[in-house]
Amino acid sequence: MPGAALDPVAYLRATPPFHAVPQPLFDRAASALEVGFYPAGARLVRVGGEPLRHLYVIRKGAVRLERHGQVLQVLEEGETFGYTSLITGRATLDVIVDEDLVAYRLPAAEFDALLADAQFAGHFAVGLAERLKSSLEHSAVATFQSDLSLPVGRLVRRPPLWIGAEATIGDAARLMSAERVSSLLVRGDPPGIVTDHDFRDRVLAAGRGPETPVAAVLSRPLRTAPEGAPLHEAWAVLIDAGVHHLPLVRGDEIMGVVTAGEVLRQSAQGPVAVLRGVERLASRESLPGYARKVTEMAAALLAGGLDAAAIAGFVARLNDALVARILRFAEADLGEPPAPYAWLALGSEGRMEQTLLTDQDNALVFGDDGAARRPYFEVLAERVNEDLELAGFPRCPGGFMARRWLGTLSEWRARFEGWLDRPAPQALLEAAIFLDWRRVAGRLDVSPLQAVLAGAADRPVFLRFLARAALGFKVPASLRLRLRGEASTLDLKQQGLAPVVFLARCYGLEVRPQARSTLERLAAAREAGALSAETEAAVAEAFRFLVGLRLRLQLQAVSEGRPPGDAVAMSSLPGIERSRLKESLRAVRGLQERAQLHFKVDF
Amino acid sequence: MRLRSPAWDGVVYWALDLETGGLDPRRDAILEVGMVPIRDAHVRLGEGWRTLVRPEGNVDPRSIAAHQLVARETRDAPPLGDVMREVDRRLDRHVLLVHHRGVDVPFLRRGYRDAGLRWRNPVVVDTVELLFRQARRAHRLRPELPAEPPTVNLSAAREQLGLPAYEAHDALSDAVATAELFLVLRQALGARTLRELT
Repeated sequence: MPGAALDPVAYLRATPPFHAVPQPLFDRAASALEVGFYPAGARLVRVGGEPLRHLYVIRKGAVRLERHGQVLQVLEEGETFGYTSLITGRATLDVIVDEDLVAYRLPAAEFDALLADAQFAGHFAVGLAERLKSSLEHSAVATFQSDLSLPVGRLVRRPPLWIGAEATIGDAARLMSAERVSSLLVRGDPPGIVTDHDFRDRVLAAGRGPETPVAAVLSRPLRTAPEGAPLHEAWAVLIDAGVHHLPLVRGDEIMGVVTAGEVLRQSAQGPVAVLRGVERLASRESLPGYARKVTEMAAALLAGGLDAAAIAGFVARLNDALVARILRFAEADLGEPPAPYAWLALGSEGRMEQTLLTDQDNALVFGDDGAARRPYFEVLAERVNEDLELAGFPRCPGGFMARRWLGTLSEWRARFEGWLDRPAPQALLEAAIFLDWRRVAGRLDVSPLQAVLAGAADRPVFLRFLARAALGFKVPASLRLRLRGEASTLDLKQQGLAPVVFLARCYGLEVRPQARSTLERLAAAREAGALSAETEAAVAEAFRFLVGLRLRLQLQAVSEGRPPGDAVAMSSLPGIERSRLKESLRAVRGLQERAQLHFKVDF
Repeated sequence: MRLRSPAWDGVVYWALDLETGGLDPRRDAILEVGMVPIRDAHVRLGEGWRTLVRPEGNVDPRSIAAHQLVARETRDAPPLGDVMREVDRRLDRHVLLVHHRGVDVPFLRRGYRDAGLRWRNPVVVDTVELLFRQARRAHRLRPELPAEPPTVNLSAAREQLGLPAYEAHDALSDAVATAELFLVLRQALGARTLRELT
């Protein structure tokens, strides 16, 4: 057909998930596209009646999804319906036209053909299990293939080189030089590894000579990864183990060794690159720029298709490495600490859920034997808070920073017990953030603090107060969220994420006080029978979606030079995300209802 | 005895739009034809058809602003006879749907004649007529409001009735636009049979 695409075809093409379908597949679908007009009040399908035979994309107007006269969802421009009918062959909802509807529709056969495209199918498949269970329509976030999911084994250039443990360092160095590699595997049970770093740190720096046996300097057991592991998992292993060489295994056999550098080259903005940057920080003067690097990394990972929760995991690891580095700077200037201490991350950093760098939330605990040397720790905290600010973590307006929140272990234990025993509004606000503490650096044993948290389960009054605070977050009914009018913007944090985080914390304290992350706490609640599997799955999915959406919007704001915020206009989202957002809020409200019963909160 | 008129959605409509070299059906050339069918109350975009026509007649330079077609584009297009046979094959015994029959139908009749085809005298539904009918109906329902002539420009009428704005204005896009406008007007008029629409 000559000329440009017809407007309806162009509209369909621009609407996710059709935007990414390969051209020939899309053209085939488009050739069967129909336009329909349905007046307000028309019923397109009835529960238990004839299922829909088409996939509908709304161009103008709106439809209501109802069951038993109860409105479950309102869909507007760019949103899609009909796929539950198509996939299950049953009509599980009433679909009623809410405002005069212009819709484009595709026959079932074309929808089936499109499902051959994995990415397209992914939009309809994720969460399908729950959708079928609850017979609720909703669309899903893209979970597409990306470079980050490439198997790390693809990076292997050659089979590994081995040397006997009885060989000398000189032999090893000659072999490595001849073969131009930076590591050798060492035969033995278990096998080990020597690297050029070892020659520097454990041989030369230790005053040893080339006749030293390899056995004296090797590292073992090996930290390995399966050759099929995705690249981002290999990153995690390299960072967690603090190593530069990663042997890859297939079954019991080592297939090859990849270096951090090789992994790094797969993405210059990867976490390994940022970590190397942190390790090379020579002085406090090089701290500025850290925040920007982390932001770029998060953007690259998100663009690569990594889930926001996984990105937050990397951000937390990097921030931890940064804090450790900064503490070393401080100790070098101030001298050895007079007592062991622990640096605590609080709030979202404590939960490892921070994606972009936000306000500092931290605290310092030191051993009771350091009580007389309090000024040392005050200066230490002051320095670290300043350095973190230099690196791009703004001061915390609420004032939850170590320079103010420091004390001996006994003081901290008393403080925690006070929060648990005498819940009061201000105390709860403080408790909320401190209850998510995590030790980031330092050698002090903080298990006494953990022991206090474990006591929360025996304090139903405390948990009830905490739950009541969590239920104070008003989540809008998804029906009221429309493209235009009063409820056309949403605060993703206050009206979506915070209610989940707060309630998950309540459940976590009750059933698994050592859990920190929201997803871990929700899973713990399910395992303990405090939440149904269905609720937990829906809320976890909603949480992941909301975190991802917020990160995407914030990165967009940063790239456009705007301050990242939490407000989102419904009209700025594609239909498929709007559907998903409304569905997520439904899940959050469902959690609130259950928590109200569970924690016996009466308003 | 009058035959019972078929249900409005029991027949096939072929929405048709022509781009012409002027407004005089005796002299001016047909430059482009677009057609799209409505079956079972749905516009079947995949059956949409559009072709340029090698001009056999006058092209008023002032018409170029409307159709945006220049001689270079239409020079190698199929001749009118071939195009009219394609139109006739599609239209068959179905209903012809146009936006303003006063222009398109005389041009079509002349095209048929020039191609040596017999004019089928199809049932014609005209969205401009339906717009007038809807305006009269609105006035009957709300006589206190001043009687205003309806907006008959295709894009403007669509906008008033809440249909999306279409960028393109080639003959096929306009045929699709007409078909959608028809679906909305049919609903607004509450017409149940074909006769109520003609």
